[in-house]
Amino acid sequence: MTFNAAALLLLIAGLALIGWLAGRARSSLLAGRAGTKLHSRPQYHGWYVALWLFAPAALFLAVWSSVSPALITNQVLASEAAQSLPSFGFERGAILSDARNVAEGKQAAVRLPAAAPLVQPYADAAHTYAWIGIAAMLALALAGGLYAFTRIRPDFRARTRVEKIVMLFLLLASLVAILTTFGIVLSLLFESIRFFRLVSPAELLFGTTWAPTSGAPQPGTFGGIPLFWGTILIGAIIAMIVAIPIGMMTAVYLTQYAAPTVRKWVKPLLEILAGVPTVVYGYFAALTVAPALREFAVMLGIPNASTESALAAGIVMGVMIIPFVSSMADDSINAVPQAMRDGSLALGATPNETIRQVLIPAALPGVMGGILLAVSRAIGETMIVVMAAGLSANMTANPFASVTTVTAQIVKLLTGDQEFDSAKTLAAFALGLVLFLVTLLLNIVALRIVKKYREAYE
Amino acid sequence: MNRQTTPTDWKGAAMQKRIAGRYAAERRFRLMGLGAVLLSGAFLAFLLFVMVGNGARGFTYTHVSVPVDFKAMPLTIDTTRLGDADADQVIAGAGLADIVAFAADEALGADGSKLISENAWKEVRSAIKADPELLGSKTVFELPASSEVDIAAKEGAKGALGAKVDALEKDGKLSTGIHWPFFKNADATDPAVAGIWGALKGSVLTIFIAFLIAFPTGVLAALYLEEYAAKNRWTDLIEVSINNLAAVPSIIFGLLALAVFINWFGLCQASPLVGGLTLALMTMPVIVIASRNAIKSVPPSIRDAALGVGASPVQVVFHHVLPLALPGILTGTIIGMARALGETAPLLLVGMRAFIGDVPGGICSPSTVLPMQIFLWSDEVDRGFVEKTSAAIIVLLIVLLSMNAFAIYLRNKFEKRW
Repeated sequence: MTFNAAALLLLIAGLALIGWLAGRARSSLLAGRAGTKLHSRPQYHGWYVALWLFAPAALFLAVWSSVSPALITNQVLASEAAQSLPSFGFERGAILSDARNVAEGKQAAVRLPAAAPLVQPYADAAHTYAWIGIAAMLALALAGGLYAFTRIRPDFRARTRVEKIVMLFLLLASLVAILTTFGIVLSLLFESIRFFRLVSPAELLFGTTWAPTSGAPQPGTFGGIPLFWGTILIGAIIAMIVAIPIGMMTAVYLTQYAAPTVRKWVKPLLEILAGVPTVVYGYFAALTVAPALREFAVMLGIPNASTESALAAGIVMGVMIIPFVSSMADDSINAVPQAMRDGSLALGATPNETIRQVLIPAALPGVMGGILLAVSRAIGETMIVVMAAGLSANMTANPFASVTTVTAQIVKLLTGDQEFDSAKTLAAFALGLVLFLVTLLLNIVALRIVKKYREAYE
Repeated sequence: MNRQTTPTDWKGAAMQKRIAGRYAAERRFRLMGLGAVLLSGAFLAFLLFVMVGNGARGFTYTHVSVPVDFKAMPLTIDTTRLGDADADQVIAGAGLADIVAFAADEALGADGSKLISENAWKEVRSAIKADPELLGSKTVFELPASSEVDIAAKEGAKGALGAKVDALEKDGKLSTGIHWPFFKNADATDPAVAGIWGALKGSVLTIFIAFLIAFPTGVLAALYLEEYAAKNRWTDLIEVSINNLAAVPSIIFGLLALAVFINWFGLCQASPLVGGLTLALMTMPVIVIASRNAIKSVPPSIRDAALGVGASPVQVVFHHVLPLALPGILTGTIIGMARALGETAPLLLVGMRAFIGDVPGGICSPSTVLPMQIFLWSDEVDRGFVEKTSAAIIVLLIVLLSMNAFAIYLRNKFEKRW
């Protein structure tokens, strides 16, 4: 007998269904009597009963399933068999989880002999707490259901109550976004502060050597400049050199020259480029583009050309961003009033002159906003750089060399096997904080520009 | 205005030349535009071409015919135990692997056992389990070749191995067929038996969790913001945070999940549950934004009409606005889910990069997802994994493209102009 939250959730959902039917039947019965008029339709009475039955019990279930494992472990530790456990943390934990797995039926037999005497106490404790939990949950459900059921009277405003609860749900759902934002900011800040106790923020932001080592932090090894430079080189320079001209020209061609049917087919086709998973781009960059570029570099006589190069990652990232730049440019060119275009054409300018001298200058703020958003996306991109740009922190302007970025380092720092409170692990959160702030800033500025510019024409 | 100007000589040579130049510039510009479109198309075509070219072979595998004579080399086991749960151990314990290796040496010459996969005997094992009669006879098994032989047979190889493979081919001992283990197995260290089923199931479970959380939350939040929320500082804050979340780099969500779900709540690491929660937070803003646009496009007259016949505001929304906006909401949701399905970076941080040799049993068991499987295989040194990686990419792209195509179909079908 273990505490299976999913099954219990189904159980109270079933009870709620019964409550719904009972509430509806009871109110229909009342409505059937002569001289009475229900305020709400019977189904709302049903919902009222069902909600009272379900919500408190489900809430209890959520709390209980997060609290009970600790309670069970406490009871096991208090038992006689647990007195012989080693006090050393890791081994102790391994023995306990071994016993737990056997007691829960996940394993056929214990792997560690020391766990054997603990299986029975574990099963007993789990049994006790499961029954306590189930009994309390059922009691709550029945109490809630009975309370709601006794309130069914013809003049009871069940619909209003139910609608209030629905509105509460809507509000809670929209608060999830704020909670997530707070979660991001708090978790990044919290871990970053722990990092900055070990390493000064100035070193992370202005230091020039990135060579984090495990153990106690060595001074001068957490300098973030090489990472920031690598990020800018790949995301803001190489990727944009690819994406901006191609994206802009694509937008111009599709809005100004292409026939509507061509546009209808080509646009979704280009959107596929944005829908290809980044891991596929990363694999493509590492497998095909990077070796080709290396051969090219060797042919040019460039020394130390590496198979992992900033250029490979940047070019492929640029391709990924093309549809993004193109659709932003598309939108802002379309937002330029037709009268401006017609006026220029009427004066005898060719379409090309109109585009270059009227449409693009007029659309420029929107295009700039789009480019900023594209940069923000490029510097947050992870898989392509992890797979194709390498992990060595170089401060080089040579695009054929291997560089590393903030995101690639976050992955590298967090996928090793180290304890969660070393400076190395915490550094990932500090880098995450920097990345979050920079992209946030870029997004806010970009959205401001786009919005302001839109209003000027509408 | 008494200044005399000579009228422009439109027919003059200089002017003609200038006009011709302007038209040439026009043509050049237009061609540049076309070139940009074609270039982007060519990138896509090249990408798909490379992946299909590398990956198509990953769906097939080379098999070698090896006769195994159980009369000459009897496998002494109690046939009544073959139906038991521990039949695998029983057969393995009886030394089937050695028998198969010996049979291969005998049939294919010295070192013949190196030509078949080290897991080949497991195929014999399942054949025996299906039909114990085989134990008393001599049977020719089609066993998976080793990874090197498979590559040599597909691409041609030089040296001793190439000669050996050519000889086998001449004897008709090689055959190529669809590689079912690729679809049925989980990850393995041997490319002959490594498959995507574990990752695919992990992906399905993860996306299911993400959908279960992100879809209701996103739609309800969009309804609240679009239909009921008063315009004040709080709703502004909600709106700004939704728009910002939609643009936060995905790896940041991985950091959030690592800090909150794993280190604070202690949820099961590397499981579809944590992965799904992470992706849900990531896709929720996308769903909210798409849903708001869909809700916005439902004309106000419908709301007014419903209110006019006495519906409450909640009834107006749930009986009228929501059903009308649903196709648009679903389109946005499918696109958001497709993006989540292809996401790797945040899942890397919550521990889903570990080698998982089993198909995940539930939402709390360790598992991996398809993009992560691609990432893990891309790091493998064994050459047999190159085509596996591309084959997995083809499967992933087919799933994603059909999801996107379905979303576009839905949009075209239900697009309404009011």
